[in-house]
Amino acid sequence: MNLFYFIAFLSIFFSLLVIFSKNPVYSVLYLIVTFFTLTIHYILLNAQFLAIVNFIVYMGAIMVLFLFVLMLLNLNEDSEPMKSNLIKVAGVVAGMCLLVTLVGSFRALGDSDPLILKNPEIGLVKNLGKVLFDEFLLPFEISSILLLSAMVGAVLLAKKDPKKI
Amino acid sequence: MDVIITISLLAILVLYLGLFKAAKALLPVTLVGLLVALGLTFNHWDLANNTKSIFSGMLLFNNFSVAFSALAIISTFLILMLSKDYFERISANVAEYYTIILFALTGIIIIASYHNLSMLFIGIEIMSVSLYILTGIKKRDYASNEAALKYFLMGAFSTGFLLFGITLLYGASGSFDLTEIRNYVASSEEISPIFYAGILLSIIGLCFKAGAAPFHFWTPDVYEGAPTLITAFMSTVVKTAVFAAFLRLFYISLSSVTLQEFWVPVLVVLASLSLLIGNITAVYQQHFKRMLAYSSISHVGYLLFALIALSSASDSAVFLYAAAYTIASIIAFAALMVVQKQVGNDSFDNFNGLGRKNPLLALTLTISMLSLAGIPLTAGFIGKFMMFTGALSTYHTALTVFAVLNAIVGVFYYLRVVVAMYFKDAERNELAVPVYFKIVLVVSTLATIIIGVYPGFIADLI
Repeated sequence: MNLFYFIAFLSIFFSLLVIFSKNPVYSVLYLIVTFFTLTIHYILLNAQFLAIVNFIVYMGAIMVLFLFVLMLLNLNEDSEPMKSNLIKVAGVVAGMCLLVTLVGSFRALGDSDPLILKNPEIGLVKNLGKVLFDEFLLPFEISSILLLSAMVGAVLLAKKDPKKI
Repeated sequence: MDVIITISLLAILVLYLGLFKAAKALLPVTLVGLLVALGLTFNHWDLANNTKSIFSGMLLFNNFSVAFSALAIISTFLILMLSKDYFERISANVAEYYTIILFALTGIIIIASYHNLSMLFIGIEIMSVSLYILTGIKKRDYASNEAALKYFLMGAFSTGFLLFGITLLYGASGSFDLTEIRNYVASSEEISPIFYAGILLSIIGLCFKAGAAPFHFWTPDVYEGAPTLITAFMSTVVKTAVFAAFLRLFYISLSSVTLQEFWVPVLVVLASLSLLIGNITAVYQQHFKRMLAYSSISHVGYLLFALIALSSASDSAVFLYAAAYTIASIIAFAALMVVQKQVGNDSFDNFNGLGRKNPLLALTLTISMLSLAGIPLTAGFIGKFMMFTGALSTYHTALTVFAVLNAIVGVFYYLRVVVAMYFKDAERNELAVPVYFKIVLVVSTLATIIIGVYPGFIADLI
C-alpha cells in the first residue's frame, strides 16, 4: 500500500510539473515521466499487458512523436499569445466548479464496494488473449475494417492529385 | 453477419476495380452489391421475432436491425444513384470514395445490430472515421477542408465522451452486454452513482453524433462545407443509424422506471432546445443547403420524442419518422445538386421560376418540402403524428404543444423554396435533369406519398 501512495504522489507531482513548466518541451518530458508512473500503477493492479502497451505505445511512440512535433513547431513563450484576464478568471471558475463536483461525487460515492473482478488474473497476457480471441473475437476482427478504412482515407487525402480542378 | 461481410467485401472489390482502372464498372457493381446485401438483410426477417444474439452476445440481428439496415442500404442506394459523374468532378480517385462510403455503411449496419457496447463503439468509429475522410475529399476547397477538420476534432471529442460513458456503465454493471446491464439495473437495490454519470456521458456522446442541440454547433458548417452528396449521406443515413443505436441502448438496457425518471427530463430539455434552435435559425437562412442543415437539427428534436415516450411502439415511430425524413431529404438534396451544378449557387433566389421550366423537379421538391414540414397525405405528417401521439400518451403535453408551434415555424421556411419556385418569376433556362436523378426523384416522391396515404404497411412492420 505504501508503494501505491508513493507512486500516486509521484504521478500527481509530475503531472503538476507538466502544467507549471514554462517550456513546452519540458512539459512533454514530464508527461512522459507521468506516463511511466502510470505504467507502474498498471503493474501494481496486475494488468501486465496494459502496462507493456502503455509503456511501448503511449510513452514510447506517441510521446516521442509529440516531442518531435513540438520541436519542429518551435513553440516559445514569446510566440504564445497572452490570454486576457477575463479568460483566466473564467478558467479558474470553471476549474473550481469541476473540482467541487468531483470532490462532491467522490464523497457521495464513499466506500461503495468496488467491483470484484471475476478473475483477478485477467490482466495477464495469456488470459487477456483468451478473452480477446474467444468472447471478444468479433470486435477484434471488425476493428480491421476501421483500420483499413482509416488507411485508405489517409492515402486518399495525402496523395498528390495530378488533376487540377 | 453475412450482410456485414458482403458489404465489406464489396468495398474491397470496388477498391480493386479502381486499381484495374475499371471506372465504368464502379457504380453498377456497387449498386448490384447493395441489392445483394439488401436481399441478405431481408433473409434475416423472423416472423416469430425471437432471434438469438450471435458471437457470444456481440450482435443481435433481429427485426429491428433488419428494418434499420434495410432503410440504410436503400437510402445509400438512392444516394449513390445520384453520384454518377459526381465524384469524377472532384478527383480521379473515384473508387476510393465508393469504398469509404461502403465502409461507413458497414459501421452503420453494426450499430443497427449491436448487442454489446464494444460493438457500438467500434461501429460508431468505423462510421465516423469514414465520414471525416469523405467530408474532406474536396482537397482544394477551403470550406471542405475546414469542415473536415472541424468534424474530426468535434467527432473525436464526442467519441471520447461516449467511450467514457461506456466505461462508467461497465464499471458499475461489470459487463458490456446490453442484457447484462439490464439485469444489473433490475437486480441491484441501489444503483451506483457512476452508472448515472455513464448514462449522461453516453447521451452526450450520442447526441453529438446525431447533432442534437446544444451539441449541434458543428452541424451547419460541416453540412455546408462537405460535398453535397456526402451531406445527403450524413444527414439521412448516419442520423437514422445513430438513432437506431440510441433507441436500442435505451430500450434494452436503460428502460426501467427509476432510470427513466433520471434521463427523461434530460432528453426533454435536449429535444426542446433542438426544436427551438433548429427552427428559429433555419428561418433566417438565405441558402437552401444551410437551411436543410438547420432543419435537420429540428428533426433530431422530433426524433428524440420517441425516446422520451419510450415504449414498444418507439421502434416503429422512429423507423417511420426516419424513413420519411430520409426519403424527403434525398429529394431535397437531389434537387440541390442539380441547381448547384448548373447555377453554381444555392441561395433561394436561384429557385425562382423553376416551376415553369422544370415542372417535374419543382413538383417533387414541393412534395418533399411538404413532407418535411409535416403536411397531411405525406410521410412526414404520419411520422410527426406518431411522435406526438407517443409523447401525449406519456403526458408530455407542454412539450407537444411546443413542438406543434415549432412545426408551424417549420412550414414557413420550408414553403419559402416552394414560393420561390412557383410564384416568383425569373428569366432562366431549363435545367437538365439526368435520368438517374429523375428515377430517384420519382421513386422517392412515390414512396413519400404511399407512406403518407397508407402508412400501415410500414408502421406495423417492427
